[in-house]
Amino acid sequence: MWLKPKSPALGDFEQLVLLGVLRLDPDAYGAAIRQEIHARSGRDVSINAVYTTLDRLERKGLLRSWVGDPTPERGGRRRKFYALRPAGVAALQQAYQAFASMVDGLERRLEAK
Amino acid sequence: MRRRPPRVAVWLLTRRLGAEWREFVVGDLEEEFFARSSDSPRAARAWFWWQAVRCLVSPPPVNRDLPSAQSSPSPGDSIVQTLIADIRYAFRVLLRAPSFALAVVAVLALGIGANTAIFSMVNSVLLRPLPFEEPDRLVRIFHVPPQDAFPGMPTFAVSPANFYDWKRDARRFERMAIYRFRQFTLTGAGTAESIVAGAVGADFFEIVRVRPALGRVFLPEEDSQARRQVVILSDRFWKSHFGAAPDVVGRSLRLDGEPYTIVGVMPASFSVAAWGATARDLWVPLAYTDDERAVRENHNAQVVARLNAGVDAAQADAEMRVISTRLEKEFPKENAGWGATVVPLHELLVGDVRMSLLVLLAAVALVLLIACANVGNLILARSLARRKELAIRSALGAGRARVFQQLLIEALVLGLIGGAVGLLLAQVSLDAGATLLADQVPRADEISIDGRVLLFVFAASILTGILAGALPALRAGRVDLTDALKEGGRQEGTVGIRTRRLLIVCEVALSLVLLMGAGVMLRSLLALRGVDAGFDPRNVLTMRVTLPETRYKEAAHVSGFFDTALERVRALPGVQAAGAIDDLPFRGGSVQPIVKEGHAELLPRDQPTVEVRKITPGYLRAMGIPLLRGRDFVAGDVESMLVSRSAATLLWGDDDPIGRRVTLPLQSRTVLKQVVGIVGDVKQGELSEAAAPTVYEYSREYSWNSLALVLRTSVPPTSLARPAADIIHKLDPDQPIEELRTMDSVRDETLTSQRFSAVLLGLFAAVALTLASVGIYSVLSYIARGRSREIGIRTALGARTPDVLRLVVLEGMTPTLAGIAAGGVAAFGAARVLERLVFGVSALDPMTLAGAAGTLAAVALLASLLPAYRAARQDPLKALRAE
Repeated sequence: MWLKPKSPALGDFEQLVLLGVLRLDPDAYGAAIRQEIHARSGRDVSINAVYTTLDRLERKGLLRSWVGDPTPERGGRRRKFYALRPAGVAALQQAYQAFASMVDGLERRLEAK
Repeated sequence: MRRRPPRVAVWLLTRRLGAEWREFVVGDLEEEFFARSSDSPRAARAWFWWQAVRCLVSPPPVNRDLPSAQSSPSPGDSIVQTLIADIRYAFRVLLRAPSFALAVVAVLALGIGANTAIFSMVNSVLLRPLPFEEPDRLVRIFHVPPQDAFPGMPTFAVSPANFYDWKRDARRFERMAIYRFRQFTLTGAGTAESIVAGAVGADFFEIVRVRPALGRVFLPEEDSQARRQVVILSDRFWKSHFGAAPDVVGRSLRLDGEPYTIVGVMPASFSVAAWGATARDLWVPLAYTDDERAVRENHNAQVVARLNAGVDAAQADAEMRVISTRLEKEFPKENAGWGATVVPLHELLVGDVRMSLLVLLAAVALVLLIACANVGNLILARSLARRKELAIRSALGAGRARVFQQLLIEALVLGLIGGAVGLLLAQVSLDAGATLLADQVPRADEISIDGRVLLFVFAASILTGILAGALPALRAGRVDLTDALKEGGRQEGTVGIRTRRLLIVCEVALSLVLLMGAGVMLRSLLALRGVDAGFDPRNVLTMRVTLPETRYKEAAHVSGFFDTALERVRALPGVQAAGAIDDLPFRGGSVQPIVKEGHAELLPRDQPTVEVRKITPGYLRAMGIPLLRGRDFVAGDVESMLVSRSAATLLWGDDDPIGRRVTLPLQSRTVLKQVVGIVGDVKQGELSEAAAPTVYEYSREYSWNSLALVLRTSVPPTSLARPAADIIHKLDPDQPIEELRTMDSVRDETLTSQRFSAVLLGLFAAVALTLASVGIYSVLSYIARGRSREIGIRTALGARTPDVLRLVVLEGMTPTLAGIAAGGVAAFGAARVLERLVFGVSALDPMTLAGAAGTLAAVALLASLLPAYRAARQDPLKALRAE
């Protein structure tokens, strides 16, 4: 690969996860993101898929993470929270703009009846 | 109260997930689980499991560079992970080739399913202990009759007086009980019914150690004439006659017109098949009178016993032999030549079928081996088609062992799926065949799939996977990289030919052994069916009528009933002749010593014995038994006797027996019976055995209260069943009729176990033949495709269709013939085992062997003709241009 793009294009599921993180900010963690995606897109994804993607996005430099305090409803386990890094915001913007410009003028045909 | 998520799932997750993720993933799942479980705990659990499974299959990756990750993965992780990766890959590969996967799974499921079905029979019948407490200590004790008088008879029923002496003297038994069977007529609930009950002596239930489900077992004092009118029901009888009423204890039952009080109900698990299949429904006290106890020369009772702890059957047998030797000396008149033997209950029950079942298991294992060869062939073809993929893997650094592991795991996955489907097949076929099995094997009702069967299926699946996968995997491990990667490297169809030929040789050899076995069993069955039993079973209807002794006390009363019944039956249109006998042929019956007039009665050891049957006039004509000399019985004869040809020879040699007189000392030492004629020999026991010398007796007034009526008809015999039964019911409405059937079916019944083995072996052989022909066909198609270029050149150079046909057919027939040769050798080994199961034909019958070999050769020829024809028809130009 000689021509490495500056910010890699996001996959479909990566977009969903990033948007989930953005919506939930600053309380985005695995289960919450999973439920957000389920509630809004109808996709019942598995927790491992969410974490696999979060992990990949973090390694790409689009997300950062920190560990919260133990809570009783999780059997005393801690949460791992995620938030967008600037690169993540940029990648989302890029994806959104690409999508929006492609959609431009097609809204009426794409609108669900 | 807070609900907890499924513990096993949590445990699995913590094991599977890297330390880095464990806490967050499990925490997230648990959190959502609680949220969900407030709606529906069940759905929440299901959800948790579903999420857990998905995590287990593909957990989030482990990041070694992140500080939070454990610095070194736990040992074994890497093996488990490559294994899981391989398994996932195997599934993906198989999904990509669904028709291949389907074919393999179908073949394996067939093979494993058949094995599982037969193994669960072997398991339930031979391996599983009997459903009693400490069943190893349960034995039956028999007399061993004097071999000169009872040739070929290993055991004999026991005489009461001898039993009581055994019981007094034997030290190696905890308890011993005597019992016998009694026929009762049950009345009072709709139509009268004839029932065989077990009449059991004291201690019977203590020996078996089964607690009743309701009520109690018999009290010791109930084994007496005064208090004998009590009865215990089987679970089946309780359900069928009392609708499982819980208050049945204390009610009463009318047996032979007498009231019996119900004292208990046995549990459903109390199988009495081991004590005699006829008595399953009722038990009453034996209640011998003192006179009955003292009978020593009449052998008519059964004995069951429980050994002392630590004593085995051989030790008990030795003790019984010592005791009977002493009793022989003490009572020479009755006991000379009579020994005793101890047989473990389990042995007694299944001894007869052990051989057949093991032969079937071996046969079905051969089917599985053939299936393995077929699947191996398919996998080989697949792995060659994937040569490029495998070569790339090797080029990228996968060692031969790694490629081998990958292919083997694919085969194992196929084996396990095949096993799972096979298990289903086995369950379905066992369910479907349950009623059929009930008549064929003892303990059939216990046949089921248990843990051991599951283990067997698992082992068989793994083994099958390894067997079918190892050869191709080894073969594929030897990929020549440059050759495989070159576009248009060596053509498909030239690789692994030797391996494939070997598979054909194996398949053909195994099929030959199976065909041979099935053929021999079939010929044996035909030979048995063709045996002349001494009478003509066609167009004969039989039915048993048993008059209760309580209502028919006088001889005149009994004979009056039967004489009238026979007279009226004879008047039915379509009836040519009618008579009656106490025990029909094949059903066994009384064997008694016989003494010629003017000769002293010898010791039992030396006294000749004969089968003794009681018949009425008309029986010979109805059965079609030829009268050789003298005359048949006529109504009004007194103490007359007919002798069979072999009985005449046994007793009088070349002299004329007609007019001679004999006594049957077991019945009476004073009544002389006069021989009036000689009749043909009839097989009273097994079809495969010689006809035993038989005498038939008749006297004008008889008290034989249980007779089988025999009708020879000129119309289909079953059409007379109803009118004949009506005649009996008109004479006595309370009179049950049993065993209403044709003589053909009585005869057929003696062949059931033979037929069972022959049918199953035939089925297995057919499957084997199909698999082998499919195998030969696919290998040859493959080879022919590979040689299409060569064939194209040959055709271009002037080879004609027959030349090409010969070329390809020879290619297939060479390994086939090698397989037939190898199979012939293997058949020698199999014949040794089969020898004991066949009748009237050698287990290595040359005709059958030739037939089996011919069939295989013909099938192989057919299977090779199609690819050969296709090769000959191809356009040589196209074949040559194909590169």
